[in-house]
Amino acid sequence: MTTISFDLVSPENLIFNDEVGMIIVPGKDGDFGVLPGHSKVMSSLRPGRVMVYGEGKNLLKSFFVSGGFAEVNPEKCIVLAESVDEINTLEKSAIEKEIQELEGQETDKVNEQMIIAQAKIDALNSNFYEKI
Amino acid sequence: MPSLKDIKTQINSVVSTKKITTAMKMVAASKLRRSQEKAVAARPYSSRLEEMLSSLASSAASGEGVIKLLTGTGNDQNYVVVPVSADRGLCGGFNSSINRETFKLVKSLEKDGKNVQLMPVGKKSRDFFNRAMKDQIVESFIDLNISNTGYESALQVSNKLQDLYFDGKFDKCILVFNKFKSAISQEVTQQQLIPLDVSESSKEDKKDDNAAKAIYDYEPDEETILKDLLPKNVSIQIFKVLLESDAGEHGARMAAMDNATRNAGEMIDGLTLKYNRTRQAFITKELIEIISGAESI
Repeated sequence: MTTISFDLVSPENLIFNDEVGMIIVPGKDGDFGVLPGHSKVMSSLRPGRVMVYGEGKNLLKSFFVSGGFAEVNPEKCIVLAESVDEINTLEKSAIEKEIQELEGQETDKVNEQMIIAQAKIDALNSNFYEKI
Repeated sequence: MPSLKDIKTQINSVVSTKKITTAMKMVAASKLRRSQEKAVAARPYSSRLEEMLSSLASSAASGEGVIKLLTGTGNDQNYVVVPVSADRGLCGGFNSSINRETFKLVKSLEKDGKNVQLMPVGKKSRDFFNRAMKDQIVESFIDLNISNTGYESALQVSNKLQDLYFDGKFDKCILVFNKFKSAISQEVTQQQLIPLDVSESSKEDKKDDNAAKAIYDYEPDEETILKDLLPKNVSIQIFKVLLESDAGEHGARMAAMDNATRNAGEMIDGLTLKYNRTRQAFITKELIEIISGAESI
């Protein structure tokens, strides 16, 4: 068993569905890697990067998710995310602008958006996991 | 007897009506296809979420905080009814059947001594209930345009509902919407949204993975996941209903316009026949006049 089937699903559509070598998922208590044959786990996610690798551990795609859930069993990994962006499509300047607009407002909703926007910046800045 | 010109005008007006209904039918058909695709695309998410939820539902012990979405408030005195209609008319009985069903439901709940509030979605039901029971409307949503804006607009409805719920404004929420059965038929359906009705969804699951459930590891833990999952589930259920109603609307409009086109065709046939007969009658009359004039000389 060298591959695991991976689904990335948003409420609007199925974004990714293929056999892959490894996935790194931003679990609430920390990132975790999913390889074929992973034990059964159900986890909620924090905003962060979902990285998808091919069989030779080469990075195929990276996505930003704003939270959601992951369900893992030995053959399959499913990520349910509320909103999904491909990392390449994010624009730093736009997000920074959003952060500026949000600053100063103090409601639960704004705080939530702030956390997501900050996480987006972090995701853009870091090149962690890009090569393994 | 109507003059030839009158009939001609009438025919022309029916012909242009027919053109409009044909165009509307085709527009509805293509919109239907699009919103059907949307509804299909949304299915994996909601079915996965339901599966997760039903395997977790058993771990909900206490009735505090978010968990109340599952266990209920322990009362059933105050209701919120959410009729989901279209924003536009010309789609047969689509809107009126929703309004009628909701009206009936509200009346029967009131007969049992419950307090009922309304939260209409869509212009047609908002307008109807603005006339019928204005003081019971807590909030209304129009121009949601679900097929373009997507999940965001479902979130609006869901957030409002949850705010009201956690403020203790109501105990139960029922959705009334058109379930999309096929392109030409919709079924008015009532669905209890809050508290979540797990009995039906968990039943399906119990068959296949009752054994598999037990061995999952939960991270951070079952209760935390459940707390995240429940509000999302409300939103996703609303999203699903809105999409389904949108597809149903286009289907209903397509059927209604198809009928209208056919009726217009029949009317044109009838009028054309009448036009030809009248013309023939005039010709015959004129001939008779000429002949009888010639004979009398």
